[in-house]
Amino acid sequence: MRTAAALVAVAVLLALPAVLNAYALTIFILILFYAFLAQAWNILGGYAGQLSVGHAAFVGVGGYTSAMLAAHWAVTPWLGMLVGAGLAAVLGAIIGYLGFRFGLRGFYFVLLTVAFAEVCRILVSNIDALGGALGLYITFTGDPRQFQFQDQRVYYYVALALTLLATGMAALIERRRFGIYLTAIRDDEGACEALGVDTFRYKMLAMVVSSFLTGLGGTFYAFYLFSLQPNTVFGIPLSVEIIIRPIIGGAGTLLGPILGSFILTPLAELSRQYFGQSGLHGAHLIVYGLLLVSVVLFLPHGAYPYLRRLFKRA
Amino acid sequence: MAVGLTLIFGVMRVVNFAHGDMMVWGMYLAFVLATRAGIDPYLSFAFCAAALFVLGVAVQRGLVDRIVDAPHEMQILLMLGVALVLENLALAVFGPEPARIRSALARLTWEVGPLYVDVARLVTFVVAIVLTLALWLFLFRTELGRLIRASADNPYGARVIGADVRRIYAAAFGIGAACVGAAGALVAPILPFQPTTGLSLSVTSFNIVIIGGMGSLVGAFVGGLLVSVAESLGAVFLRPSLKELFSFGLLILILLLRPAGLFGRRAA
Amino acid sequence: MTTRLTRRRFLTTAAAGTAVAGFPLPLRAQPTRFKIGAVHPVTGPLAEPGQACRLGAQMAVDAVNAAGGIKSKGGLELELVLGDTQTKPENGRVEAERVVTQGAQMLLGSFDSGSTNAMVSVAQQRRVPFLIDIAAADPITANVAKSVREGQQKVQYVYRNFPTGSGFGRGAVRYFTEIFAQAKVTPKRVVVMYCNDLFGQNQSRGFMAAYKAARPAWQVLEDEIIAWPEPPTDLSTEVSRLKSLKPDVIAPITRPASAQLLLPEIRKQRVESLGIVGPGSPGLYEAGQIAALGDDLEYVLTSVPWANFKNPRTAAVAEEYRKRSNGKTFDTNSGYSYDAVLLIADTLERAARLDDPEAIVAALRATSYTGGLMQYGGPIVFNELGDNPNAIPTMIQILGQKPVAVWPKEAAVQKLVFPRPKGG
Repeated sequence: MRTAAALVAVAVLLALPAVLNAYALTIFILILFYAFLAQAWNILGGYAGQLSVGHAAFVGVGGYTSAMLAAHWAVTPWLGMLVGAGLAAVLGAIIGYLGFRFGLRGFYFVLLTVAFAEVCRILVSNIDALGGALGLYITFTGDPRQFQFQDQRVYYYVALALTLLATGMAALIERRRFGIYLTAIRDDEGACEALGVDTFRYKMLAMVVSSFLTGLGGTFYAFYLFSLQPNTVFGIPLSVEIIIRPIIGGAGTLLGPILGSFILTPLAELSRQYFGQSGLHGAHLIVYGLLLVSVVLFLPHGAYPYLRRLFKRA
Repeated sequence: MAVGLTLIFGVMRVVNFAHGDMMVWGMYLAFVLATRAGIDPYLSFAFCAAALFVLGVAVQRGLVDRIVDAPHEMQILLMLGVALVLENLALAVFGPEPARIRSALARLTWEVGPLYVDVARLVTFVVAIVLTLALWLFLFRTELGRLIRASADNPYGARVIGADVRRIYAAAFGIGAACVGAAGALVAPILPFQPTTGLSLSVTSFNIVIIGGMGSLVGAFVGGLLVSVAESLGAVFLRPSLKELFSFGLLILILLLRPAGLFGRRAA
Repeated sequence: MTTRLTRRRFLTTAAAGTAVAGFPLPLRAQPTRFKIGAVHPVTGPLAEPGQACRLGAQMAVDAVNAAGGIKSKGGLELELVLGDTQTKPENGRVEAERVVTQGAQMLLGSFDSGSTNAMVSVAQQRRVPFLIDIAAADPITANVAKSVREGQQKVQYVYRNFPTGSGFGRGAVRYFTEIFAQAKVTPKRVVVMYCNDLFGQNQSRGFMAAYKAARPAWQVLEDEIIAWPEPPTDLSTEVSRLKSLKPDVIAPITRPASAQLLLPEIRKQRVESLGIVGPGSPGLYEAGQIAALGDDLEYVLTSVPWANFKNPRTAAVAEEYRKRSNGKTFDTNSGYSYDAVLLIADTLERAARLDDPEAIVAALRATSYTGGLMQYGGPIVFNELGDNPNAIPTMIQILGQKPVAVWPKEAAVQKLVFPRPKGG
């Protein structure tokens, strides 16, 4: 029953570009893109319970790598994407190693991730070879070999594919022993260690997978929006966007991040349209903040588990 | 500024991500007082402190109280939400352009031999020392202060001896917020501020508190000095634009090697 | 299930939202007016200049329509379809797509280079001519020109009527040279300082590149360029360093926030110099800055794109702008957006057909327009990169707590004061 529903949903998603106009399509591309990043984060933050508020760093590393490779060595971003993600995974491994080996938990780990993301941001802002604070500007050619498409619908399918990839991985992890270990570590790491589980290894694995996937997203960002600025791509606001979707939607669940993205991206867009006209600055961020507060107070597990319970009763 | 944060964390183990944004509100309050009522911020800081005390208590009672026992992640996210709301409310009310208070005091410099001393900064420094001392006296010499420390060390024990822990938490949060309100008013004539300043202030506060040691007043003070010195040194020896790297680097080192900070007690 | 509901609800609410926002949904393609998509960062960190741009563009549209619209096309009127980027590149893309979907046949925008480049991809993809009213990063147009040259794109749809980063640099260097010559000084210790963000880096790079190419008699201390993180909390260390260099001339590139720290600090640390001459940046001339900095800004010079107040029309437009914006000055941002719309109107007059983007592009490329209100070095034309080489800055100075044009002579409204009077 659940698989049938999933298949129907995927089919609908596949068919959407045929009926949507370009504007709506752009919104959906962004929904899926952020859902992808959210799902990648979910593997580490949701299932393993290790809150990282510095995931933007992986987006940045992935994006900058493939953009530089494409610009200077004419490496096709399809390949550059993997290299970028690989580098992001290396960074993730470093952060993970330092954090987990030194036993940083909870708040301290959060701070570590934030510190690393900020360090990356400052470094890249100051390295002229990487474009400095001005950033990198990518030429629009519309050439598929350069991960650019004249037709927006291809971007949509790529974003959809990425989201399905991340969700697939999360599903796989959820069902395997790996996932069970992660959830156990999240709930009570001390007990796991007492039972002899190698928490370090599993947390590292989650970290590497999560950062790799997020790095892939960096390339998509670069070649969809055609510019990379360190403040945008390594900055805390992007990290917040990444984590708020799974939190609101339901961290540690499969559909939570996707639901979160479907709620928040249109919300941001609508609030920008409504409030922007009256000149109210940053209104959608106020809404984000209020949502975050309400969810934490009333729906600590996120929207998806709550809705699921609701539908089960009905 | 950092002293307030360490108080909040030390007592309640709640991480106040909205710290910087509260400070910005303190600054804006001083700004409004200065421009509308003509009150110099060096005089109005007490009022700003009081106002933020009220805000702190409100936040604590209304929001933080409910999740005091919840896992850390939830607290972090809650305060993050509060930070978002505060920052963007400031943006909506005051606009995005930087504001600054012109205080007569802020324009003075003293010549002390070959050095020029910025009077405004000197005053801020002195007041900061005085306030910290006052806070220390409060925590170690008064009844309420002792109760706060007791609740920090052992909430159950504190309840056993009849302390109203919730009220104490509210007081602690309020005092922490008051510190930040005072800090905001004092710094406002020196530092041009915008709603987005909140984020960097929060990060700096956390840097200082971690380095100095969570829950330690002395640590917060020393940490503050350390971080500023580190950044200035960084500006001198490296390119100034990299000076923030120094404080972050220091943060990472401390996190790894001595998470309790230089003066902190081992976190429970 | 839940997801489908959300989607459907979203689509209907979005339609309702757009209706509320005041734009008629295009039911059929019936262009009774020519729609221009005006996308600027009207909310967010750049809200102030963004709103200035939007108002400037709107005023120009009203002026064109009042004068009879596009006469060669039967009095066709212009209409703006408004967009807001919030300074985020992804919104640049979203808004561009939205306004084009709502019938915009040309794009205008968008102030910050990130969102502008995102819009470029939409312009090229959907074949919509895009006139950049403000954005300084050179690659934005250069990249498009390159891709056309190399055959990956057929037509360049993106053009810019604003000085590029390198254009700013060249203009500034020229003015520095002329001003120093006028004052009969040859400073050997010019210290460049800049805010280390996107804008600051671009400007400083452009300035230094132009300086090295020009090799003037005056000299910058090339190894002692001081940068600070933006926004800064404290600049005392940087200014101490400045002071230790014993500068003849201080050349700062600031943002409003850093200017508010820098200038008082220079005064507090008693850094003496012949003057503060900025290569071009915000923060040194706006009404808000003058209010905040007062005397610290007096005699400060900076090279910025500026309106030509010797043109009689400019004064009238500036007055109207002051009324419609509740007291703001008609400056770079509102001015260039205003001129961009005038330029579009002129282009549409000359275009063979309006329903063919290539015809509009052809007319754009052939432009030689002299009706602009900003200070130009000649008629508005477009070079092979799509930029206007005659878009130049003007050196303005704060005199009597007001920004006035002082150089070049043709543009000067008041006499230049340099070196700075002692004790000033």
